[in-house]
Amino acid sequence: MSTPRRLSPIHESLQQIEGTWSDINGMPALIHTSEDARIAKTLGIADLSSLGRFGVKGAGAAAWLAHYGITVEQPNRWTRLAGGLAIRLGLSEYLIEDSLSNTSSNIPSNTLPNTMVSRLAAGNFDPDQVYPVLRQDLALALWGEQVPALMLQTCNFNFRALTLAENPVVLTTMIGVAVTVLPSERNGLPFYRIWCDGTFGNYFWHTLLAIAQELGGGVIGTTSILFP
Amino acid sequence: MKQMICPINGTRPIVEFTCGGDLQSMPDPHCGDTVWADYIFNRNNAPTIKQEWWCHTPSNTWFIAKRNTLTDEVLCTYLYGQEDV
Amino acid sequence: MPLRLLKFGFSKTYPEPRMFRSPDRLKSSYDAVIIGGGGHGLAAAYYLSRDHGMNNIAVLERGYIGSGNTGRNTTIIRSNYLTPEGVKFYDQSVQLWQDLSVDFDLNLFYSTRGHFTLAHTDASVRTMRWRAEVNKHYGIDSELVAPEDVKAACPEMDLNCGGHTPVLGALYHAPGSIARHDAVAWGYGRGADQRGVEIHQQTEVVGIQVEADRVTGVATSRGQIATPRVLCAVAGFTPRLLQMVNLPSPIYVHPLQAMVSEPMKPWLDPIIVSGSLHVYVSQTARGELVMGASLDPYELHASRSTLEFAEGLSAQMLELFPFLSHVKIVRQWAGMADMTPDFAPIMGKTPIAGFYLDAGWGTWGFKATPVCGKTMAYTVANDKNHELIQDFSLDRFKRYELVGEKGAASVGH
Ligand SMILES: Cc1cc2nc3c(=O)[nH]c(=O)nc-3n(C[C@H](O)[C@H](O)[C@H](O)COP(=O)(O)OP(=O)(O)OC[C@H]3O[C@@H](n4cnc5c(N)ncnc54)[C@H](O)[C@@H]3O)c2cc1C
Repeated sequence: MSTPRRLSPIHESLQQIEGTWSDINGMPALIHTSEDARIAKTLGIADLSSLGRFGVKGAGAAAWLAHYGITVEQPNRWTRLAGGLAIRLGLSEYLIEDSLSNTSSNIPSNTLPNTMVSRLAAGNFDPDQVYPVLRQDLALALWGEQVPALMLQTCNFNFRALTLAENPVVLTTMIGVAVTVLPSERNGLPFYRIWCDGTFGNYFWHTLLAIAQELGGGVIGTTSILFP
Repeated sequence: MKQMICPINGTRPIVEFTCGGDLQSMPDPHCGDTVWADYIFNRNNAPTIKQEWWCHTPSNTWFIAKRNTLTDEVLCTYLYGQEDV
Repeated sequence: MPLRLLKFGFSKTYPEPRMFRSPDRLKSSYDAVIIGGGGHGLAAAYYLSRDHGMNNIAVLERGYIGSGNTGRNTTIIRSNYLTPEGVKFYDQSVQLWQDLSVDFDLNLFYSTRGHFTLAHTDASVRTMRWRAEVNKHYGIDSELVAPEDVKAACPEMDLNCGGHTPVLGALYHAPGSIARHDAVAWGYGRGADQRGVEIHQQTEVVGIQVEADRVTGVATSRGQIATPRVLCAVAGFTPRLLQMVNLPSPIYVHPLQAMVSEPMKPWLDPIIVSGSLHVYVSQTARGELVMGASLDPYELHASRSTLEFAEGLSAQMLELFPFLSHVKIVRQWAGMADMTPDFAPIMGKTPIAGFYLDAGWGTWGFKATPVCGKTMAYTVANDKNHELIQDFSLDRFKRYELVGEKGAASVGH
């Protein structure tokens, strides 16, 4: 067996779950479990760490990204891109993430896929005040009617006060860990994306999963959450 | 729980912030040991209204807070250099 | 309440003896004035009157004696510090403690428990080993022990800490003790009072007169006093007093909080400290758990308590002792800790003649009460820094000669 190029911060924990695995961007990913369909409506929690990700910051970052056709007008907002999404974190930092549809799972892991993130990563960082940021996130998605209940137990921020149509992004803490939260809706149900530093991964995952299970939810696969 | 207003991220519980200490200006590094020692060690630490550096940690946003160190009231917060905005 | 007890209480036959007099008037002058009726101030008054024949002294206290950090601390007494300066000093103090009850004829409930400082990382195991070696060099009972030894002394502990931060070892200090804090203030107060010292409560110092860099008197909420010597031992109020004499200092004040649980059957004999978890805990003779954490994270000159503290500390406590999850917290409080950049105190003479400072004791000064009293009494009586406190003078910062006790003092007290 060849060694994977990348591992999710919660790889070990996920391995205990029965399901179908596949390689996404060189990272073994749990893409499907037999419970997915049942759980998803209530509260599904999925690991999306395998998606391509790119960070850049600095006073010159906005102009630099504009060359690639990426702009996010206001701080703490996000924009949908052709093949992913772009988030403006505060004033001068950005996170770009590929969507799964833009990442073929059949590409041999030694060739780089031609995605937005790989184009940015191959970019030229010479201009002043443009600094790439290494992103080694635990990236999660939460989906289902119980998501607000989980957020109430783990986070001080009042998400209900937000207007989702404005594409808000919230930088806050959950269970003591700094997180970026992107609240949205999918099929009429709350759909939240959460990113945190991978080193907190296991703690964060286990705590959220335990709460999700108490609320009648559980783990669902990467592709189930992205292509229900 | 006590709250503070980050100029970029809005009102948040105080546990999301860390205090970076008094806003003070650095003397010329060639000022000599005595002045330098005064700058790095000595503080005006009787209770008063102070300007302090604070950071909203989840977003790493540094800003200035005007705070009463006797009553713990935060009078206002603003990005460095934008006090009057 | 039984009627008999009530009658006894009101009867004049057996009046409750007062611990000390409350003189109703301030004299117009004293040989020395001590600002602050905490343990440190009262101990200095006691030794000045007992050992140096100075009896014409007033101790001025803005509230009641022991109402500052002396009555708010978690009473841990130990001497396993990191630097030679520190170790020598605290060891003297621990020795003084041991016969204080006899000295005072008052039960201080001095109780030797053994003190474990847990190490959860390789780096802290390394620091513990270093501390053990410095300690042993000065003849202090201190050693690095294995997790099994911790388990043997405290079987209730989850050495795994829920899997997050397993205990890898501990620094064990057998003489580590606790004592009854108010009794310390009362004991010193009574002893000083019997030797003629006046203790004035509800008397706040509002100004200090300095002429030609020499102290001449203090202004109080109850009038003016002339005096050639002033000892300032006001812990968290030090910056306010220093402002009165225009002395800059590196002292910064943060609240330090503590809390106690409801009483339980005795189960915890030793004192347990964990720097990584920001927890320290001991069980009192009454069965309550006394718990504390690290300093509040920002400057504040008030002793308010917060929910974040009780919540955070409880979570950390449960890592070590999951079985406590149903135990209730019954009280919490805070004191103002006067911190220094090197976690060592500031003691002795100052640029102002006759103005002596005993401050910067932050989160760890209760254990030093006797030795501070002794050395400051010597310093005030002789106008000369006592040998043991020479490294702690205010001008060390100007000379960049910091002491460096942070590794041993930051959570442990
Ligand atoms: C929560 C907590 C836990 C702690 N735990 C420990 C521990 O486990 N072990 C340990 O060794 N140390 C501990 N400490 C530290 C210790 O309590 C202090 O260092 C020590 O008690 C200081 O004694 P003191 O007499 O100098 O000050 P204090 O007891 O604070 O006395 C100073 C007095 O000065 C009075 N005063 C102030 N301003 C004026 C004025 N203008 N005029 C007149 N009077 C004035 C105040 O009212 C006060 O009574 C702890 C402290 C706190 C807050």
